[in-house]
Amino acid sequence: IGEPVPPQRVEIHKLRQGENLILGFSIGGGIDQDPSQNPFSEDKTDKGIYVTRVSEGGPAEIAGLQIGDKIMQVNGWDMTMVTHDQARKRLTKRSEEVVRLLVTRQSLQKAVQQSMLS
Amino acid sequence: MQDRLRILEDLNMLYIRQMALSLEDTELQRKLDHEIRMREGACKLLAACSQREQALEATKSLLVCNSRILSYMGELQRRKEAQVLGKTGRRPSDSGPPAERSPCRGRVCISDIRIPLMWKDTEYFKNKGDLHRWAVFLLLQLGEQIQDTEMVLVDRTLTDISFQNNVLFSEAGPDFELRLELYGACVEEEGALAGAPKRLATKLSSSLGRSSGKRVRASLDSAGSSGSSPILLPTPAVGGPRYHLLAHTTLTLAAVQNGFRTHDLTLAGHEESPAWLPLYGSVCCRLAAQPFCMTQPTAGGTLRVQQAGELQNGARVHGVLKGTNLFCYRKPEDADTGEEPLFTIAINKETRVRAGELEQAAGRPFTLSISNRYGDDEVTHTLQAESREALHNWMEALWQLFFDMSQWKHCCDEVMKIESPTPRKPPQALAKQGSLYHEMAIEPLDDIAAVTDILAQREGPRLETPPPWLAMFTDQPALPNPCSPASVAPASAWTHPLPWGRPRTFSLDAVPPDHPLGASRSVAPLPSQRSSRSRGLYNKGPLRTWLQSPV
Repeated sequence: IGEPVPPQRVEIHKLRQGENLILGFSIGGGIDQDPSQNPFSEDKTDKGIYVTRVSEGGPAEIAGLQIGDKIMQVNGWDMTMVTHDQARKRLTKRSEEVVRLLVTRQSLQKAVQQSMLS
Repeated sequence: MQDRLRILEDLNMLYIRQMALSLEDTELQRKLDHEIRMREGACKLLAACSQREQALEATKSLLVCNSRILSYMGELQRRKEAQVLGKTGRRPSDSGPPAERSPCRGRVCISDIRIPLMWKDTEYFKNKGDLHRWAVFLLLQLGEQIQDTEMVLVDRTLTDISFQNNVLFSEAGPDFELRLELYGACVEEEGALAGAPKRLATKLSSSLGRSSGKRVRASLDSAGSSGSSPILLPTPAVGGPRYHLLAHTTLTLAAVQNGFRTHDLTLAGHEESPAWLPLYGSVCCRLAAQPFCMTQPTAGGTLRVQQAGELQNGARVHGVLKGTNLFCYRKPEDADTGEEPLFTIAINKETRVRAGELEQAAGRPFTLSISNRYGDDEVTHTLQAESREALHNWMEALWQLFFDMSQWKHCCDEVMKIESPTPRKPPQALAKQGSLYHEMAIEPLDDIAAVTDILAQREGPRLETPPPWLAMFTDQPALPNPCSPASVAPASAWTHPLPWGRPRTFSLDAVPPDHPLGASRSVAPLPSQRSSRSRGLYNKGPLRTWLQSPV
């Protein structure tokens, strides 16, 4: 199965695109979402926030974020019990140019399996 | 016992009505009558309530009615006193110098009120146990006017308490004191710790009966003024959920700003008090003031205007003094039809106005001069009025304007926009069988309006996030996320803001977007069948979504 990976700290420097500051990835999940449709979670009742897509060459990829990562914290704010919209807002604060994420990742093998299925 | 208390209260209402009648103050009388009838409706409703949330709304209406009644009572007493004094002694001011100049009134509007919460980490990570919920609302008092916000339900998933409606006070002086009070009650029933005798004792001591006249008198004294006692009366004799004062603050002219500002909140109570909410200690809002001198014309008439340095005799115009400008129109009709004025003379704090003639040589009577400094240059206009009386009126209007500017201060720099408050959600017919609406016999007919107001129901059950632990027990689908371009929105039209708002995660200094419910992401309308459904903590919505959003 592979060894569990300890939580990773990922520091993303946002990229300015016109008026917006973007991170270059997409999130799924939230306590107001249906967790059974999450292709990345091991536990299908897990309502956490997951990385569903990472833009090629974007700030998130450069910082080492991976598809399937579960985001535990953003700049110290908990992300395990937030709504989808709250999560999005915590990541897109205009006043913050850098976000420090705490993420957990399944074993490498599992992660590869998941991304092939989705 | 209950009946006796009720009789005492009815007697009191009668007494209050009689007082109003004796004063022959029809407007105050009408307002009092209205509140008393609203109060009766609220009492009836409260007695008939079976559900906690209805009881919370009805209790809130009742408490607001009570405070308004007290406030009007206080006003009545003051007017009665003034009347009595006027009839007896001769007022010394009659023969004295003219009355002091008083500043113009204005409109004061408070909007976009947001109170941040501060949940402790331990609370936040708790995912076993009840989702504790509170019902909160704000009571605002300016002078004798008391207004309330809508009731908002709060729980651990919210980072702020936000009130959507703005509150407008139509007549305030520059020395206004706007008192803000936050009241909260637990949505879940309080434990039956208070035994029946204790509850009765509380009711007895807090009823409006004449036997507790001392307390009423004390409240009357402070009603209308921002005394230290809370505006809201304690629990009425009728049973119901208890609201507790959570925090308060008083805002004055200094707090007015054409933008959002954060003010300190004085927290009442402590962690052990019932209905205690972890408030951060601030309130963020937009407090705007529009003095009437800025929005209404204060003088108008024919003038002959000459700019110093010009050779001609001067143009004949129709001048209108409004706000910090003297608009000079070609003819009087132009002012009404929206035509551009010929020219405009600024009148602000720096302007100097002098009566009389500037140039000795010109023998023109009834003139005044207005000088403004623009950088190094000084521009002077000479205005000639048609008669001595007209000149006097212009001077008077200008002195009043200068006085108003000195009193309203920064509110006269430019006109602050004030939006008329949107009407509150109209009452919705309860679709349930055997609803309160059907059960109650309401008469006389005009009371229906009062009771329907009170019956204004929030839209059904709590539609926001179901408690996290629920997921472990069921496989019920989550609610659709109302905000994503990827989701398919139901077709029903959305005309009102959601009563409980969506949780927002603003930081303390963030400016809420202009739209009441958030900027670019519009809220999808809710399927109509929800409003009539069960009171469950969540709904079995037709959509099962797992949204993805780019960041």
